[in-house]
Amino acid sequence: MDSSRDTAELQKLLEQEKSRAMLNELVNKLTSVCWDKCVGTPGSKFSSSETACLSNCAQRYLETSALIVRRFTSMQQ
Amino acid sequence: MDVFSSPSSGSSSKPSPEAVVQQVQKHLAQAYVQELLQTVGEKCFTKCITKPSTSMSGSESSCVSRCVDRYMEAMGIISRTVINSVPR
Repeated sequence: MDSSRDTAELQKLLEQEKSRAMLNELVNKLTSVCWDKCVGTPGSKFSSSETACLSNCAQRYLETSALIVRRFTSMQQ
Repeated sequence: MDVFSSPSSGSSSKPSPEAVVQQVQKHLAQAYVQELLQTVGEKCFTKCITKPSTSMSGSESSCVSRCVDRYMEAMGIISRTVINSVPR
């Protein structure tokens, strides 16, 4: 019937929204953390070291998260 | 007529998947904006209002303005970095 197809479709669409929301949350979190680490007094534009710091910070944070997951996984074994 | 009734359905009771998702997106967007405003407010207060006095000075308010611009810029930098880091 229509309704089971609708339910499957809805579930798929909601999964996409969930992924999108989680990605936004990650960006929010990273911006907050890296802002604190990298930005001094806000000027009319970022210095090149501030820009580099922000970009590096995000990458290192992601690597740290992956590292932590691997560590926990190996602890379970 | 309620917002969920679609022309194709006979009754006004069953919303289409698309209509449900639209409502979800709307709520998520509202929550997102709320959270962002709160975060930026906190960050920029911290950076710009170091010694709260009886009124806001011109330099304090222009600092806040710059701060908001910089924070959005920082979000863009981080966002691009994250998108480009999606594992193969």
